[in-house]
Amino acid sequence: MITPNLSLILLAPLAGLGLVLMTPSDKTSLIRKIANLTLLVPFLLSAWVFVSYDAALGGYQFIQKIPWVVPFGISYHLGVDGINSLMLLLLGLASFAAVMVSASIKERVKEYYILLLITVIGTYGAFLSLDIFFFYFFHEIAAIPVFLMIAIWGSERREYAAMKLTLYLVAGAAVALIGLIALYLHTGVGSFDLVVIQQRLALHPIPFAVQNWIFPLIVVGFGVTLTLWPFHTWAPVGYTEAPTAISMLHAGVLKKMGAYAIIRFAIQLMPEAAHAWMPIIATLAIVNILFCGLVALTQRDIKYVLAYSSCSHMGYILLGLACFNGIGINGVVFLMFAHGIMAALAFAVTGFVTDQTKTRNLDELGGLAKIMPFVATCFIMAAFASAGVPGFGNFVAEILVLLASWDQYRGLSVLAVLGIVITAIYMLKAIRLGFHGPLNPKLASKITDAHSFETKLPFVLLLTVLIVIGCWPAGILNHIGSSTKPIAERIR
Amino acid sequence: MFPTINWSLISLESFMTLTLVVLVIMDISLPKKTNRDWIGIVSFGSLFGLIAFWLTQHNLSGSTFGGMFVMDSLAWFFKGFFLLAMVFVFAMTQQYFKALGGRRNEFYLLLWLALIGMSLIASAADFLILFIALEIMTISLYVMTAYLKSDKLSLEAGMKYLILGALSSGFFLYGISFLYGVTHSTRFEAILGYVGTHAMNPMMLFGMVLVFSAVAFKIAAIPFHMWVPDVYQGAPTPVTALLSVGSKAAGFVMLMRLFFGIFAPWHQEWGLTLAVLSAITMTYGNLVAMFQTNIKRLLGYSSISHAGYLLMGAAAGTVLGASAMNFYLLGYLFTNLAAFLVIVLVFVAIKSDEIADYAGLSKRSGLLAATLLLALVSLAGMPPLAGFFGKFALLVSVIQSGYTWLALIAAVNIVISLYYYLLIVKRIYVDAPKVTSPILVSSSMKLLLSFAILGIIVIGIFQGPFLDAAITAVRGMAFGFIK
Repeated sequence: MITPNLSLILLAPLAGLGLVLMTPSDKTSLIRKIANLTLLVPFLLSAWVFVSYDAALGGYQFIQKIPWVVPFGISYHLGVDGINSLMLLLLGLASFAAVMVSASIKERVKEYYILLLITVIGTYGAFLSLDIFFFYFFHEIAAIPVFLMIAIWGSERREYAAMKLTLYLVAGAAVALIGLIALYLHTGVGSFDLVVIQQRLALHPIPFAVQNWIFPLIVVGFGVTLTLWPFHTWAPVGYTEAPTAISMLHAGVLKKMGAYAIIRFAIQLMPEAAHAWMPIIATLAIVNILFCGLVALTQRDIKYVLAYSSCSHMGYILLGLACFNGIGINGVVFLMFAHGIMAALAFAVTGFVTDQTKTRNLDELGGLAKIMPFVATCFIMAAFASAGVPGFGNFVAEILVLLASWDQYRGLSVLAVLGIVITAIYMLKAIRLGFHGPLNPKLASKITDAHSFETKLPFVLLLTVLIVIGCWPAGILNHIGSSTKPIAERIR
Repeated sequence: MFPTINWSLISLESFMTLTLVVLVIMDISLPKKTNRDWIGIVSFGSLFGLIAFWLTQHNLSGSTFGGMFVMDSLAWFFKGFFLLAMVFVFAMTQQYFKALGGRRNEFYLLLWLALIGMSLIASAADFLILFIALEIMTISLYVMTAYLKSDKLSLEAGMKYLILGALSSGFFLYGISFLYGVTHSTRFEAILGYVGTHAMNPMMLFGMVLVFSAVAFKIAAIPFHMWVPDVYQGAPTPVTALLSVGSKAAGFVMLMRLFFGIFAPWHQEWGLTLAVLSAITMTYGNLVAMFQTNIKRLLGYSSISHAGYLLMGAAAGTVLGASAMNFYLLGYLFTNLAAFLVIVLVFVAIKSDEIADYAGLSKRSGLLAATLLLALVSLAGMPPLAGFFGKFALLVSVIQSGYTWLALIAAVNIVISLYYYLLIVKRIYVDAPKVTSPILVSSSMKLLLSFAILGIIVIGIFQGPFLDAAITAVRGMAFGFIK
C-alpha cells in the first residue's frame, strides 16, 4: 500500500507559490486557477492522510525525519497522530474554501494570492511538525502575510486592526517562545524533538518548581492566539476588518494553533504544573464564554457578532483542557475541528453577503433570505451549529466538554451552559435582523444569491462536513480518541 | 635579532594593501582630466579576487610578528564577513555617487583603508596592534562621514563622530595603560595569563571598563551611543551602511577577543553588567526608533537595539552565546545591507530619505519594496528569515546562562521593534504613492538585491551550515577561554 508522504503537503503548495510568483500580475484568472489548484492538492493529500491514519495502531505515523540544526537538536520531523491529522483536514477544508471565496478580490490579485499561500503553507507546516522549534517557526510565518492582507484588503479600520492583531499575536508568541526554550533547556536531552522529549519526560519529569513558571508562559503566550480573556481584544476588530478569507482562516484554523500548542507542549509535557494552573485558566475560560458572549449580544455589526462569538467559544476549549480526562480532551479536539468548520462557514457566508450589501450593520440589513435563500440557509445552519443544536458537530463537542467538566467544576459548568443560551440568543437575533423580516428596499436591487458552482462549492463543502460529523461523530472520534488516550493517562 | 615573520598569515591584508597602494599611485600619477570611473570597477573586481583567496585560507592558523598578529578561525570568519560587506558597500558607493556626481575616487581608497583596518582588528593579538588597526578603520570612517562637503548634515556628522571617536580612542589608550601597568604587557596572551591566575582588582577593573567603553562606542551600546543618530543620518548612505555592519562587527570581534578571550576567567564579575547594558541598550534603541521619520535615523536607533540583542550573547558568556552572536551578525549583514541598498537606490531615484516619501513604493518598484519588506521583517526577527534564528539562538544562550529576565525583556523588545518596522511596511505596501512613476533598477542592482534576498532566506531556513561555521569560528579562537 502506498502511504502518504507528508512533505508533499508542504512542497506542493510551495511549488504552486513559485508558479504564482512567476506569473505576470495582469493574468489574474490564471493566477486564481493556479492558487485554487495549489490549495486543492494539499487538501486532498490531507484527506488522504486522515483516511489512511490507522487509529487502531495509534501513535505518530507517516514519520519523516531529517536532522536540521544538529547543535540545537532541531530536526525537520513530520508526523501525524489523530489530533493533527484532524487539524490538517480542518486546514485543508478551510483553506480550500477560503481560496475559493477569494474570487471576490479584484485588486492586487497576485500579491493577495502570494500572501494567502504563504499563510496556509506556514499553518500546514505548524500542524505537521513534531519538532517544537519547527512548530514555532512555521506558526510565526503566517504573522506578516496576515498583517499585510488585513492592512491592504481589509475594511475601514484595517490599518489599526492589522497592527493590533499582529502585535498581540507576536507578543504572545514571543512569551511562549521563552517558555518553550526554557522547557527545552530543562528537559536535559538537548533536543527540540517532541517525541524525544515525551520519552524523556515520561521517565524524568521536570521539577515542579520549574514547571510552575514555564507552564504559564506557554499557556498565556499561546492563550493570546486562542483569545484567552483578557488578551482577546485583537480578535474582534481583527476578524471584522480582515478580508473574508483571512477571517475564515484565522477564526477557523490559525487560532486553533494556540490550543494545539497548549495541548501538545504545555499540558502533555508538564502535567503537574497543569494541575496547579488549569483551574485558574478554567475560571478565565468562563469569563471568556460569558463576557464575550454578552458583548456579542450587544453588537450591531454582523462580523463583530461572529468574532465575539468565536472568542466566547474558545472558553469551552480551555474549560475542556482543565478537566484532565479523556472525555474533556476528546471534546476539545472535536470542538477545535467543529468550531473551525463552523467559523469558516459563518465568515464565508457573511463575506458573501457584505461584499454585495456593502454594509455589515444588522439594522441596515434584513429580509435577505427572500433574495438569497441558499446563502441564508447556510448562515442559519452555521448559526444553529454555533448555538449547539444537535445534528451539528459543535453539539457533540460541547456536550463532551460539559460532561467532562461537570464533576470537577460544577458551578463553572452551569455558567458554561448559560453561555450556550447566550449564543442562541445572539445568533437568532442576527438571523432575525439580517435574514428575516422586511427587506431593506435599498438593498433589493443590488444583491443576488450564489448561483454558480464555484460560489456554492465552499459553502456546501463546509456545511456537509459539519452535518456529517454531527450525525456520525465516531467518524472523527476514533481518530481523536486514539491519540488523546495516552495524553489523558499521562495527565490524570 | 628579528623574529621570523610568517607572511602567509598576513597575506590577505598584504594583498589588500597592495591593491590600495597600486590604486593610489595610479590615481596620483594619471593626469587630472582622465576619467577615473575604473577605480570602482577595479576595486570591485579585486574584492572578488580577495574573497576567492580568503576561501583558500580557511585552515590557516598561527601567530606571527612575535605573537602580535594572530590568524585563527574567528579572524577568518570575520575577514570573510568584512569582504562580503564591502561587496555591498562598493556597489552602493557606485550607485550613490553616480547620482550625486563629482569626484569619488578617493572614496574607494578610503573604503579600502577601512577594510584593511577591520581585517587587522580581527587578527590583532596585542593591544597596540588593536589600537592601530582601530584607528586605521576609524580615521577613514571620519573622512568618509564628512565626505559630502556641501552638505551641512554630513559635516556635522563628521565633526560629531570625530570628537566623540577621539574621546573614545583616548579612553581606550588610557585603559590599555592600566592593563599594562598591572600585567606588564600589551600581549593578549600575557594578559590572559595574568587574568587566569589572579582575582579581579580595582586597577584591572578600571582598565577593563575604559577598554570596554571604546568597544561600546564602536558597537553603539549605551551609554556610548550618542553619535549614532546624527552620524547615521548625515553620513553618505554607503558609509552609514558600513558603520552599521562593518564597524559594528569590528566592535564585536574586539568584544569577543576581550570577553570570550582574555577577560573570560572573570566572567562572574562582568556577566551581569553586560546583561543589564544589553537590556537598556535594546530597550532604548527600540523605544526611540518608534518616533523617527527619517529612515536612516530610524535604522540608526534600530542598530543600537541590535547591539543590545547581540550583547545578550556576550552576557551569556558561553560558546553558544558567542556562536549565536556570530550567526546573528551574519544574518544582520545580509538583512541590514539589503535595507541600505534599497535606501540608496530609492535615494538615487527620489533624492529623499524621509519615510513619508516611501509611500506606495510597492507600486513603483516591486523588487525594492519586497527587498525592504524582507529586510525589515528579518530585522524584527520573524521566521523564516535570517533574523529569526539569530534571535532564537541568542535567547537560548541567555536562558541557558540563567538570564531569563533578559530573554523576557528581549521578547518585549521584539514586539516594539515589530511595531515600527511594520509602520514602514504599511507605508510601502498600503499607502498610496504621491508620485506614481516607476523606479527603475538596473539589472546589476537587481542581481545584488536578489543575492541579498537569497542570503536572508537561505540563512533563515537552512540554518545548520551557517551555525556550524559560527561555532567553528568560536571553538578555534586563539586565547579562547570559555566553557
